[in-house]
Amino acid sequence: MAGFQKQCSVKDNLLSMNQRTNEQWLADLRAKGDMRDAALSDLRALILRSLPYALSGKLNPNSPEFESLAEEVAQETLLKVLEHLDTFEGRSLFTTWVHKIAVRQALGELRRRRWRDVPLPEMEMNDDSDIMPRELADEQPSPEIMAERNDVMMRIQRIISEELTEKQRLALMSVVMQEMPLEEVAQKMGTNRNAMYKLMHDTRLRLKRRMEAEGMFPDEILAVFAKSVG
Amino acid sequence: MNLFRKIKQLFSWQQPPTRSAGMAMQAANPKMAQKILGMLEKTQEEELTCDEVFALLDQFAEMTARGENVSELMPLVELHLEICGDCREEYESLMNVIQHPA
Repeated sequence: MAGFQKQCSVKDNLLSMNQRTNEQWLADLRAKGDMRDAALSDLRALILRSLPYALSGKLNPNSPEFESLAEEVAQETLLKVLEHLDTFEGRSLFTTWVHKIAVRQALGELRRRRWRDVPLPEMEMNDDSDIMPRELADEQPSPEIMAERNDVMMRIQRIISEELTEKQRLALMSVVMQEMPLEEVAQKMGTNRNAMYKLMHDTRLRLKRRMEAEGMFPDEILAVFAKSVG
Repeated sequence: MNLFRKIKQLFSWQQPPTRSAGMAMQAANPKMAQKILGMLEKTQEEELTCDEVFALLDQFAEMTARGENVSELMPLVELHLEICGDCREEYESLMNVIQHPA
């Protein structure tokens, strides 16, 4: 009997830690006083434990940078969770919903730190007047393939310069050439990520429609680049 | 190559340099062209935005983790994740977290 009681209390503890149901999480976070404090503290611990997985391969959990990031992310995530509690629709585990917010917070902060000092690509003309398309140094395609590729590249160039606004070109080059995260391009261009996605979507649609109007179909011309080299 | 010569005749490539020509020139290497074409190949008339995908991401991740056929059930989320590096990165991190319960 004592063993059973002990088992029960262990189970209750677990439940009160991480194994709250969605309803329990919501009720506790909406409660006042100790209940809420306990839920917040459990949630905070959960976020901190999950961050090494969220950032695996991106940031060493033993680095000083990780520590400062983790504190900030946990704090910001808790604030966001409380702020948006009413938007949780119960279509996942509550903890998955919280992890989603924490992941966005963590990667957003990491991106900001990594890209803070990187400017958008230069819009000015280069002086070396390298008008002809460049092949990569380590590639030696046959003259026929090279001619075909050059043709495609020049046509893409022309369509980009004729079809896109300066803003669209800048966004395209930042994302494609610089491989800059959308969120960072957005921030540097004074807008937000969602608006930047829409701008990029519109950019892609314009290029695609124009290319198709000229009889260029991306899947077909991609084959020109897929041909084995040398 | 005939087509190449024809097109060179059709369009004047040696236009005076402009700011926009400077930008466009950057597309003139095979890797860039390939990347742009790859993006265009995936482009659809209707796509979800980052906010719309974020709203569904927890559900999408759990469905994936359960082995459900998300390509069929949430094709627009899947498409967005193929196109958007920011959202894909967040999705992959979220999968890492929910598959390693802390």
